[in-house]
Amino acid sequence: MELLCCEMDRVRRAVPDANLLYDDRVLQNLLTIEERYLPQCSYFKCVQKDIQPYMRRMVATWMLEVCEEQKCEEEVFPLAMNYLDRFLAGVPTPKTHLQLLGAVCMFLASKLKETIPLTAEKLCIYTDNSIKPQELLEWELVVLGKLKWNLAAVTPHDFIEHILRKLPQPSEKVPLIRKHAQTFIALCATDFKFAMYPPSMIATGSVGAAICGLQQDEDVSSLTGDALVELLAKITNTDVDCLKACQEQIEVVLLNSLQQFRQDQGDGSKSEDELDQASTPTDVRDIDL
Amino acid sequence: MSEPSRDAHPIPRGSKACRRLFGPVDSEQLSRDCDALMASCVQEACERWNFDFVTETPLKGDFAWERVWGLGLPKLYLSSGSRGSRDDLGGGKRPSSSPALLQGTAQEDHVDLSLSCALVPRSPERPEESPGGPSTSQGRKRRQTSMTDFYHSKRRLVFSKRRP
Repeated sequence: MELLCCEMDRVRRAVPDANLLYDDRVLQNLLTIEERYLPQCSYFKCVQKDIQPYMRRMVATWMLEVCEEQKCEEEVFPLAMNYLDRFLAGVPTPKTHLQLLGAVCMFLASKLKETIPLTAEKLCIYTDNSIKPQELLEWELVVLGKLKWNLAAVTPHDFIEHILRKLPQPSEKVPLIRKHAQTFIALCATDFKFAMYPPSMIATGSVGAAICGLQQDEDVSSLTGDALVELLAKITNTDVDCLKACQEQIEVVLLNSLQQFRQDQGDGSKSEDELDQASTPTDVRDIDL
Repeated sequence: MSEPSRDAHPIPRGSKACRRLFGPVDSEQLSRDCDALMASCVQEACERWNFDFVTETPLKGDFAWERVWGLGLPKLYLSSGSRGSRDDLGGGKRPSSSPALLQGTAQEDHVDLSLSCALVPRSPERPEESPGGPSTSQGRKRRQTSMTDFYHSKRRLVFSKRRP
């Protein structure tokens, strides 16, 4: 039976590397370089004429659905959104190209982060065949060129383990906190408000929001409230007030998306079983705030 | 390995995620915009590297280009052996119609990799070592070709190579 399990596990993952996760220099380096990968401007104001914020939300929601359905690694979606934002910060784009760009960005992020990446054909089917694989591949080069081939962007996920290991949580609570934090990160990526925030702040705010949310139901943390925020802020050198504001914004976005979900409910076709298998974050609907 | 890669997650029948978001897509406009953007990438590269990648001529600027014969590159970059598997991963063939694409006939593509460049300081008061001083232009920040820089050059060279 064990052998069978091994054979069925098609995704190869590296084991967590203690040299990377338990060395403070790594965290410090991440903090130093993270700003390089932020979009250069708030592009709805200064670059885009056709594309509106709600369109970004539409394409982001679609991308998240695709990533969840394809059980992509958690980083794929936020990384793809980083590519999309950086591209849009530099290139005026008509809205009819937006879904193609979203597909291209998922294509690239998946290739960077996954052992079995999404295929061009599959992504085209997800656009209801409104684009052809050939177009996807051509635009892949355009996006790569405009991003200067700088694909290894820092994402909030890069900080999660560094933050979690410095918190005094009981170790059995960590997986749940991690899962919720990952959900918040995905949620942040769908909302343009967070596009220009440093990834470390989103990560810290997401962990904070996860702990606060979970704390209401069960005892996950010995630290709460201001003490927790202060410790979190210290870990990633974030300003305490900024962090509080960020965490509050995350909670607002969560509430909005829960409301949105309740409105949409009834056509939800996902089974619980399916959600459990996902390596993408817990669906927001699983979270009780 | 010969199996289709993502069969573990086939698209569910009637998946709600399969949808077009912003109406019909104009293929011709896509292709026009693609060409224009690729051209602007080439232009940016030209300015950054002071090298005309279309005619393969060095231009005046921070980099001094010189031809190098018999570059000691790893075989990976020189032979065609590694190519097949690369394309398979992306699931689908690279289109070969656009001249802007870097995929081409393998062996030839790499012949002209044998151009190297070095950053030349323009004046004594701006030594090449100064790491990112406030007035330093983008192209001057690096004093040494890094792997990505090299790749950048290669890409453009290939681009020009494919023109008859």
